[in-house]
Amino acid sequence: MDLNQLRKVAAEVVSRDDVKYLIGWRRGTFGYRVAPYFVEDAAGVDELIFSPLCISNLATYLTLVEKLPVPRGQEPDKRKVALLVKGCDSRAVAQLLVEKGVKREEIVVVGLPCPGMIDRDLLAEKYPETDKAAELRWNGEDFLLVGEGEDIVIPRAEVLAEKCRLCRHPNPVLSDITVGEPVKPWAAADDSGVAEIEAKGAAERWDYWEEQFSKCVRCYSCKSACPLCYCEDCILDRLDPIWVNRAVNFSENTAFHLARAFHLAGRCVECGECERVCPAGIPLGKLNRKLAQTVREEYGFEPGLDPEAEPFQASYKPDDPEEFIL
Amino acid sequence: MTEKPKLGVYICHCGINIAATVDVEAVTEFAQSLPNVVVARNYSYMCSDPGQLLIKDDIQESGLNRVVVASCSPRMHEPTFRKALQEAGLNPYYLEMANIREQDSWVHQDREEATAKAKELVAAAVAKVRLLEPLTPREVDAEPAALIIGAGIAGIQAALDIGDAGFKVYLVEQSPSVGGRMAQLDKTFPTLDCSACILTPKMVDVANHPNIELLAYSEVEEVSGFVGNFDVKVRKKARYVDVSKCTGCGDCAEACRVAGRFPNEFEEGMGKRGAIYLPFPQAVPAKYTIDPERCLFLTRGRCGKSPKCVDACQPGAIDFEQKDEIVTFKVGAIIVATGFDVFDAAKKPEYGYTEFPNVITGLEMERLVSASGPTGGEILVDNGEEQIVPKEIAFIQCVGSRDQSVGNEYCSRVCCMYTAKQAHLIKDKIPDAKVKVYYIDVRAFGKGFEEFYDRVRREGIRYVRGNPSEIFKRGNKLIVKVEDTLTATPLEDEFDLVVLAVGLEPRADDRKTIDLLRLSQSPDRFLMEAHPKLRPVDTASDGIFLAGCCQGPKDIPDTVAQAKGAAASALIPLARGKVSIDAQVAGVIEDTCRGCGFCVSICPYTAIELVEINRMGHMVEVARVNEALCKGCGSCSAGCLSNSIQPKSFRDRQILPQIAALGGIK
Repeated sequence: MDLNQLRKVAAEVVSRDDVKYLIGWRRGTFGYRVAPYFVEDAAGVDELIFSPLCISNLATYLTLVEKLPVPRGQEPDKRKVALLVKGCDSRAVAQLLVEKGVKREEIVVVGLPCPGMIDRDLLAEKYPETDKAAELRWNGEDFLLVGEGEDIVIPRAEVLAEKCRLCRHPNPVLSDITVGEPVKPWAAADDSGVAEIEAKGAAERWDYWEEQFSKCVRCYSCKSACPLCYCEDCILDRLDPIWVNRAVNFSENTAFHLARAFHLAGRCVECGECERVCPAGIPLGKLNRKLAQTVREEYGFEPGLDPEAEPFQASYKPDDPEEFIL
Repeated sequence: MTEKPKLGVYICHCGINIAATVDVEAVTEFAQSLPNVVVARNYSYMCSDPGQLLIKDDIQESGLNRVVVASCSPRMHEPTFRKALQEAGLNPYYLEMANIREQDSWVHQDREEATAKAKELVAAAVAKVRLLEPLTPREVDAEPAALIIGAGIAGIQAALDIGDAGFKVYLVEQSPSVGGRMAQLDKTFPTLDCSACILTPKMVDVANHPNIELLAYSEVEEVSGFVGNFDVKVRKKARYVDVSKCTGCGDCAEACRVAGRFPNEFEEGMGKRGAIYLPFPQAVPAKYTIDPERCLFLTRGRCGKSPKCVDACQPGAIDFEQKDEIVTFKVGAIIVATGFDVFDAAKKPEYGYTEFPNVITGLEMERLVSASGPTGGEILVDNGEEQIVPKEIAFIQCVGSRDQSVGNEYCSRVCCMYTAKQAHLIKDKIPDAKVKVYYIDVRAFGKGFEEFYDRVRREGIRYVRGNPSEIFKRGNKLIVKVEDTLTATPLEDEFDLVVLAVGLEPRADDRKTIDLLRLSQSPDRFLMEAHPKLRPVDTASDGIFLAGCCQGPKDIPDTVAQAKGAAASALIPLARGKVSIDAQVAGVIEDTCRGCGFCVSICPYTAIELVEINRMGHMVEVARVNEALCKGCGSCSAGCLSNSIQPKSFRDRQILPQIAALGGIK
């Protein structure tokens, strides 16, 4: 990845009169950590990076921005928001466009073909972070840890994020400007990474999810990080009526996670943010990918590929299958 | 609600319909104990005048502000009780019905359990009624005109009735002439009236009626709007003949370079026509049409030195430059009278319909015996070697009806009688013919039908009970292999002609009409009526009615009766000049609506659109319901991720307490 080219493009974008800011990534303040970065002017682009740790999905910020009341007589800031997107992030943008979460004219999309991201938890197991600055780079198919000492080559298989191992769309599905050359998908076949759990019996699966959901502390990180959880007023938060009780226990946690999964069926773009941010380590990706797989297999639909698509949950064909309905 | 709820609960005995299975006294006593219930009573028939008076008196004397009636399905008497509330000065939507008949007494035997269930249903209704909001139905003006799709006998009759009542009718027919299937028939059972003789005067009437605008050779392209206010777009297909100049003389058809080359649809392919044609001599309008797929000039750009029809046409009516024309208009009501297709006999390969020229369908037989048909009424068939007058003739009943193997479980209702009629007509024309009818059951249920069936049997037509398994050829004869199931005798009978009494099927192009008007189909694939008994001509969409065989197989009298029924129903909004819009429609909570448009896509009635609103200085899109179009079905609510759209009277906060009460949660 030619960072200079990226910074040049970014500088041009943020200098435009109709662009408010560009959302990208920069080095974090500790170890090899990476943080989201809002670039407001051309001077800021020097800090912009794109590295194997830029795993977070910046599309979340599009709907997270609070629309503050506009004083009478004033106009709201209608300038565009520019953002850097990987393949999965671009699918989130496409899905947001499908459901009118954002409008096309409100955004500038800078697409970055993605060679694969590192799961920081896996990395940290082998190479714990220290207060010394370090960074990760792509090194052919593998990764390179560049710190104070000698560079260390880390084999791809050791630290590659699961969502990247299963990724079918590493290249942005939509962008105004693309930086970098397209990459080939790594996933060999249509693998949702759920075969192992699917092979278990119902009782075993129940035990598995009971254990997982019981861990939930209901911090709602999953909901906050998800680029497609952006209702003005989420029904899972609602007090009248209370669909899901505040109590943190297996029953209510399960209701919470299943309701969320179903609200994401045919919408989830498998960016993996929910699972990445979960402090309890609940494999939410499995849940969402299972539903995405069902939607793909039963209805031949994959969300976030076509910004003009009819929203899956709101479309209907007379010959829609329903074999999986109990 | 600001005022304290004061509830009246009324438990109906429905004679013994409810009281025999449910202890109404116990339910009344229970209801009395529920919170906010001021009075609880039971009565033999709550829907009767004295029953309703009980409610009205209590509202006035005890100051009730909410009413629960535990009786039958709200589909039955909700309007009755709403009216009672209104007459007593209460908002009619302050009513909740507990269905303790269809959902309780009729489906349970155990009195104790049924009573317990009735109590739960009443408790649930009481829980909900307190939370109901007052609603006001609205009225909008209705356009004093009707659209009728299909100009067979059903469409024609409906058009004449509505036109005679003084309202404008747009009668749209996709083929070049009105008349439909009935025009193809020879005689009609059981009276043997000549079909054309009784139909053609009506065909002429619709063409000449001052209130009827006939749009033949036209198709409805778009319908939007709602009862009283439908916007309709119709495509008038190019005939390539200027109808104002065409005199119907037929010189063009005679001159046509490809005259007599193509199968005539009206003759079921047995007669031939050219590229410019009149489907049949009595066609209305009596104007010629050029078939754009057959005409040499239109397909190849040239037809000899100059098209012969152009040369032959004295008034100069041929116009190859003619284009389809779009007409738009508004109507208050729509009648669908699109008719039927006959069963495709090729789907029963064992009968050799596509193999043997002397295996024909009932409709082909109609054309064959018709004096205006391809043989001039002479019964002549090709036995594979020569044209002969058949002497041994078989009819096979129920071809494509009552047959799950072809997906048609239903009885087509006309085949038994048209077979009897055709058998009679054959006997009439070929007196020494031997005619056998293979049947499963003979259904002669209509007025004069059984008498006719008896008459035909006395004429020497033999009825053999058996469903033939196969037709094959031996020499120049057709062999019908069948078991006479009354004598358990296997037979191989010889014939010169076999007539397959094909059944009626929904039209292959019904899908277009269904999508256009958002209609439903019953399991037999025919268009579905709103209620099989009490609303047989209505559809689920207000202002759209069904007439004739599009709704299910029918004979001519039933079709005409239904057409008149549909006309009378369609006349209600037209004559009233106004339609009421139900108040139980979906409402949007704009504050939480995220404007994703899922509900817009989901709504089967296109009742929702996205509109821009100002939310604290930001222009955002939110859903808005057109209350006139909304049927309160709740699909939008099911699809809304943030529950921001909910049907009034069925809001979460109204039905969740109801569900909780059913589960015994206070």
